Amino acid sequence: MIRAVGDWLDSRTGYRDLMHEVLFESVPGGARWRYVWGSTLVFTFFLQVVTGIFLWTAYSPSTQTAWESVYYIQHEMFLGDLVRGMHHFAAQVMVVLLAIHLIQVIYDGAYRAPREVNFWVGMVLAQIVLGLALTGYLLPWDQKGYYATQVSTKIAGATPLIGPAIQELAQGGPVYGHHTLTRFFAMHAGILPALMVVFITIHIYVFRRHGLTVADYDHAPDTTFWPDQVLKDAVACLGVLAVILLLAIFKGAELSAPANPAEAYAAARPEWYFLFLFRFLKFELVEHFGIAFGAIYVPGAIMLVLLAMPIIAAIFGGAGHRFNVAFLAVLSLAIVGLTGLALVEDATNRDHQAAIAEAHRDAERVVELAQGTSKIPVAGAATLLQADPFTQGPRLFAQHCASCHRYHGHDGRGRIVMTTNEAGESEVALPTAADLGNFASRDWMRAVLVDYTDHFLPIEFSNRYKASVAGEDDRDYINPQESEMANWSGDHESLVSEENAENLKALIEFLVAEANHPHQTVDAALVEQGRAVALDGAWNGMLEGTSCIDCHDTLGEPFEENPDGSGSGYPDLAAYGSAEWLLSFINNPGTDQHYGEKNQMPAFADKMSASERQMLIDWMIGNHELTDVHDYPSSQPQVQAAIESAVSADAER
Amino acid sequence: MDQDTERPEPSPRRSFLAAFISVVVGAVPIVIGSLFFLAPLWRKKSDATGDAEGFVDTGLRLEALPEDGTPMLITVTQDRVNAWNLYPDSPVGSVWIRNVAGTPLAFSSICPHLGCAVEFRSAIHDFFCPCHNSTFDLEGTRLNQIPPRNLDTLPTKLVDGMIWIKYERFRAGIPEKVEV
Repeated sequence: MIRAVGDWLDSRTGYRDLMHEVLFESVPGGARWRYVWGSTLVFTFFLQVVTGIFLWTAYSPSTQTAWESVYYIQHEMFLGDLVRGMHHFAAQVMVVLLAIHLIQVIYDGAYRAPREVNFWVGMVLAQIVLGLALTGYLLPWDQKGYYATQVSTKIAGATPLIGPAIQELAQGGPVYGHHTLTRFFAMHAGILPALMVVFITIHIYVFRRHGLTVADYDHAPDTTFWPDQVLKDAVACLGVLAVILLLAIFKGAELSAPANPAEAYAAARPEWYFLFLFRFLKFELVEHFGIAFGAIYVPGAIMLVLLAMPIIAAIFGGAGHRFNVAFLAVLSLAIVGLTGLALVEDATNRDHQAAIAEAHRDAERVVELAQGTSKIPVAGAATLLQADPFTQGPRLFAQHCASCHRYHGHDGRGRIVMTTNEAGESEVALPTAADLGNFASRDWMRAVLVDYTDHFLPIEFSNRYKASVAGEDDRDYINPQESEMANWSGDHESLVSEENAENLKALIEFLVAEANHPHQTVDAALVEQGRAVALDGAWNGMLEGTSCIDCHDTLGEPFEENPDGSGSGYPDLAAYGSAEWLLSFINNPGTDQHYGEKNQMPAFADKMSASERQMLIDWMIGNHELTDVHDYPSSQPQVQAAIESAVSADAER
Repeated sequence: MDQDTERPEPSPRRSFLAAFISVVVGAVPIVIGSLFFLAPLWRKKSDATGDAEGFVDTGLRLEALPEDGTPMLITVTQDRVNAWNLYPDSPVGSVWIRNVAGTPLAFSSICPHLGCAVEFRSAIHDFFCPCHNSTFDLEGTRLNQIPPRNLDTLPTKLVDGMIWIKYERFRAGIPEKVEV
């Protein structure tokens, strides 16, 4: 029955001859592993077509939906992470296989007559693969793809004469927008794959015409493509598939934060196989000749030499071939060297590592917000991060606060603040104000109470303070060593003694309760005990009868800003550390209600917008949706070491 | 290819292995992709919101309906999940609603025949679908054989005098009322 259908089909189509032609290609010298590379490339392309079409069923190319649909594929859809991961890593595997294939073709002399044309067809295929990689990189519309592709289109725009037109056509306008995505998508999923199919067909057809390039005809008895070489090819493809699956499952495709043209992406790097070009363009000498030289003329010249290889070998014979191989070897070494250089430089560049940490933090946070109950706003996921104190707070802190304050030792964004010393060396900058990483927490309150001098010590490093101590500035600033509070706090014995241990703990609890940070839970009974300590001086021993309100007379009351900024002569600690108190303080810490004459901090009412100040405060007091995203690691030890060495240097003087 | 005939037949074991591995490497991406594509068949994600039972407030008091039982067309709005977006308070469908002796009676305006919207003909006092002439009386009972079943009623309840409704969709063109 099957036989009869087969006969009928064959009589109408002649498929058996075709199959015979395809499968029983002669393999002189026997099947060999070295012949598998072309097949693995075809297989990887097949895999890209299959996974690409399925991704297509869920992808939505527009600036408000591209990242969102990819997020949905990656985090919500069944097997979405696997399908996307396979597509993502197969693209990279394809570049590797392409390089192996090219090196082998040149090394074995398979580009020489009569196979010149097929070599050129192969070079066209290589360009198409790179084009697919480049266009695909933008489609998720994440920060990484957005900024990397910006560089690519800018390079295209630097092409003499036609550059600006090419750039505008690729982008679908003067800047990136919806049409950049629709155009890139049409290239990536339509035009380039169609060209790929056409050129692969030509490539294989011409390859069959000339047959394999056999290095050793006596390696083994002659055989045919089926089944011996097919078996080796299939096993190689299985290996390729295994690598892709392992990467997709255990590494997973990255999705950074949604593209935001207003938010610079310091971690921007091209995909690893373009790193060599990236590093090449960073050489000052290359830069000197202009972007078109480094990014267009030099790669163009290299491409021309590659394309001319069959001609070079035809004119100069064996010497030409040796030149070609040598050229390839030097090129490969340069690429490997530059890639390695770029990787090592990035790995040891503290700023770049901090930028990567920030990129990961944003990427994790936006997914966390997108998975919340209100999902992603129609305006796009980028707005989630723009409105998120956990994301924006650190940036505002780094911009406005970190020149004096630190946040767990860093600038809020995980970077250690550096300065250049007199010898021209880079060193850790000394803070000149308190570290706000634990602002108004129990640790903070305890430090203010029992460790006042150390807690506010950085103030001593400020230039104004030094000038004041030297008598060059007639104002007295807050003195961490000598002040009523410093003296009270320094009066340790009773404060930290066993008799007041419980009272101190209660007072801290009371102060934390007054700060009233969201997500902060307190022990109500302890708070009441603390209130008695703070307001009635319910201490034991020496401290008995000394209450906080002796000086800070509004403590325990709701915070109210005095319209005229007047004060009692002591800092107003009503609702100390709360959102209301903080806003008033940040607006103008120099009023008499706060630090008055002793203040060094600028008033921020005019330096930051109202929403920025609110965002900063919300972050500082934790007024945002809770997060499982790891915050930046503490840089406290480095800063502490710098402070200690500065203090000991001072002492020596 | 003439010398093919001189070669020994390819080993069956090798042929089988070659074919088997080829099929496996080809099938893996196709199977994974197909499961990804077919998942909506078994991973039902409801887009409905509302209270615990799925009822939403229509914003309409029972007294606002004509006492004589004349139907009124209202638009039901509720939060709608659309893949990664949530559209708050968006229109999900329109409903014919009547006051039948102090109880709300609600019909989906979607014709059970092929899904056009049914109209109320005030002159004739019936529901009429302009697409294929399905007609129903005011109880929703079909008056000709064009629709396969009566108009689909929707569950309602009264909460403090306000009409709450559970908006559901049903498959068209079949005699049974099957929720989609």
